[in-house]
Amino acid sequence: MTKALCLLLTTAQETAHEAADGAHQAVAEHGAEAAHGAAGAAEHAGDGHDPGAVLMHHVVDGPLFGLSSKHLVFLFVVAAVVIVVARLAVASYRKGRPSGIGTPVETFVVFIRDEIAAPNIGHGSSKFVPLLCSFFFFILAAALIGLVPVPNRDASGTWSLGGITSTGNISVTLGLAFVSFLAQQYAGISKYGFVGHVKNLMPPGIPLMLFPIFIIVESLSVVTKPIALTIRLFANMAAGHFVITALLLLIPILAKVATLFGVAIIPLSISLALFIMALELLVAFIQAYIFTLLTAIFIGMYAHPAH
Amino acid sequence: MPMDPKALAYFAAGIGAGLTMIGAAGGIGKLAAAAMEGIARQPNAAGDIRGGMIVAAGLIEGATFFALIVTIILATKS
Repeated sequence: MTKALCLLLTTAQETAHEAADGAHQAVAEHGAEAAHGAAGAAEHAGDGHDPGAVLMHHVVDGPLFGLSSKHLVFLFVVAAVVIVVARLAVASYRKGRPSGIGTPVETFVVFIRDEIAAPNIGHGSSKFVPLLCSFFFFILAAALIGLVPVPNRDASGTWSLGGITSTGNISVTLGLAFVSFLAQQYAGISKYGFVGHVKNLMPPGIPLMLFPIFIIVESLSVVTKPIALTIRLFANMAAGHFVITALLLLIPILAKVATLFGVAIIPLSISLALFIMALELLVAFIQAYIFTLLTAIFIGMYAHPAH
Repeated sequence: MPMDPKALAYFAAGIGAGLTMIGAAGGIGKLAAAAMEGIARQPNAAGDIRGGMIVAAGLIEGATFFALIVTIILATKS
């Protein structure tokens, strides 16, 4: 399962990379953007750090500990953390009631089972609760762990200290959305067979003339739903990092203009960055909930279509 | 008028960011207003309304971020 996910993620990364900068080839790093090339040239020319480039260096993928993608490394770190926490939670059950770390985990799992899976999927929802729990805990853990600063090096070799959110890479979220897509199709096909599943896409009771339009619209919607999930999660996580880095970058930028400005902006900048980090905590929970909820809704749509 | 394409890209990125903000804030503002009114009318439905509000806000933000990504790509083009 993890091997399939690895393969998925590497191919998704490559296709996303090729789609992103078609003309700017000769870049060996995964996910490096075009601005990075120009910034690298500027740095070598002794131009100082262009703020836009530094911003991108923090948010965009780069090497970590000799492996080529820091987001991918943290993908496995977060997965390991989630698995360990889940095992500890299960092991903490004494006399049928959890204790220690099991208590909050059980709260979340019961919430997912009763509020997200059951109303949206109806009967047969217990088959999908493990998947939904995996999505929820992974996205939540990735966002929370991404707030911890870790020293890392970007592709041009400069060390920096920043948070690494695994879901802030579009390949990672594409992988998650692809698994969600597979779950949705499985929900439909396992109940109705492939032909029946396709037939269920058409809503009932529409006049014959609108059939071609509806065929196009419905088949497109099957594909755009995971894409929307991808971009929503990726943009929320990446934008949070972006804003924090931008606010903290105000300090050196203003310090270049006049050292007094740089010093004066320190309390404001740090307090704003702290506020945005707190907001990112909230956003982490909300995005995990929305991803899980939308997956449950789509699974319900395919498992129990309106007849 | 002839302008350096990079300047046009920065210009467009600025305008795009502003428009994105108008759209997002306007939509979520209306959503929040309706949610507040609903809670005022039926205080014991506050939990359900709050849940629906969060989901709708997340979906609107998702659409906003599509536009934001385009803006960022424009602003960091070389």
